[in-house]
Amino acid sequence: MKAEAIEYGDRRVYSVGAFNRGVASWLARLPTVWVEGEVTELRRQERWASVFFTLKDPADGACLGVSMPRGRFDALRLELADGDRVHVYGRPELYEARGEFRLRALSLERFGLGDHLAALERLKQKLAAEGLFAAERKRPLPFLPRRIGLVTGNDAAAKRDVLTSIQTRFPPAHVLVAETYVQGPRAAGAVIETLRALCGEPEIDVIVVARGGGSFEDLLPFSDERLVRAVADCAVPIVTAVGHEQDTPLCDLAADARASTPSVAARLVVPDLAELLQRLDRHRQGLERGTRRALERERQRLDRTHERLGRAPRLLVERGRSRLEQAAGRLKALSPRGTLERGYAIVRAGDEIVRSSRAVEPGQGVDVELAEGGFGARVEDVK
Amino acid sequence: MTFEEAQKELEEIVRRLETGEAPLDEALKLWERGEELYRFCRERLEAAEGRIEELASRVQDTKATNPEKP
Repeated sequence: MKAEAIEYGDRRVYSVGAFNRGVASWLARLPTVWVEGEVTELRRQERWASVFFTLKDPADGACLGVSMPRGRFDALRLELADGDRVHVYGRPELYEARGEFRLRALSLERFGLGDHLAALERLKQKLAAEGLFAAERKRPLPFLPRRIGLVTGNDAAAKRDVLTSIQTRFPPAHVLVAETYVQGPRAAGAVIETLRALCGEPEIDVIVVARGGGSFEDLLPFSDERLVRAVADCAVPIVTAVGHEQDTPLCDLAADARASTPSVAARLVVPDLAELLQRLDRHRQGLERGTRRALERERQRLDRTHERLGRAPRLLVERGRSRLEQAAGRLKALSPRGTLERGYAIVRAGDEIVRSSRAVEPGQGVDVELAEGGFGARVEDVK
Repeated sequence: MTFEEAQKELEEIVRRLETGEAPLDEALKLWERGEELYRFCRERLEAAEGRIEELASRVQDTKATNPEKP
């Protein structure tokens, strides 16, 4: 609908009613949506056609007026009280008579803690089924990160705790602190944005996402599906230190490691400098000890070789003597003397050794040599 | 070479030296290399000075050019 204006020269002027009608028709083109908030200032009267209440954002206190046809409201039998968390399905509209903007509710659902938990559980199941929390997705954290990214709120305590823990454990640490919103409806988007910014920085080897403890609602952004996915997809390994031990926001499950306290986070991302130095010195001692031992071993071996070298000439003589004795024995065995010892005799006729009876004649003189001495003899008979 | 690689190699050298499997020539070479690695690691730890920086501007800027929708 086009609002009619009155022309005063070159100025177009709308009446209040025309202006409100114009805005109302523009608002009416907006879609019907779900809005979540806490019910306050509920006003219901039998003579009114509508029920009115204010929907309040618990995170930042933003308010929105809501109207709902009384019949429809009563039929729900919700018995709402101030502070109840609800989901309202409706459309923005302008109450033309007063120029007041509000949400025209078509439907209303109570959305309590239980509903939150159920919704979270469904999301958890869905992401788990996608394998987002799988152990094989977890990356090892660097042993000695060049730079550490720290995503934190401007909440001094959480930031200080993590920084102090890191610096105490490893004084040479480089930390790039990125402050952002860690609470309220903007938190999830802001943390995602910050993660992206940190990943674009050089030499960031690990990122810690730290946020102090808070209520269930305070920590809800850390279960936001977009943030959980961003944590899982982050190019740099992430350690989450969100809330307290008992809180398990879904981003914890998607992170590469989860720390229950700031000091645990520090233990995960940096080594203990004192321990590292001690270990290095121990290795150096090992180096010296090992080298000295190798030298000592080599010296002993040389000593032994030297000793053997000294023994060598005597050994040679001894070996020579025994070989000589052996030869002498063999020589003895081969000489005729040995044979004579065994009872043989050598018979000579002149200079010739008699080997056959044909070499002598009866009456011929022969010499007989025995092992001991000898004698002359005469041949009696030849056979 | 990263600190971790250097430390790992140093550990392996110490192990070899301590088991006494290396002959003297090699032992001396290992010792030299080990000393080098030790110095490298020490320098890595002592040269670095702790630093805390703030990454504020970039995120803030993006926020400023991205006003919240009503």
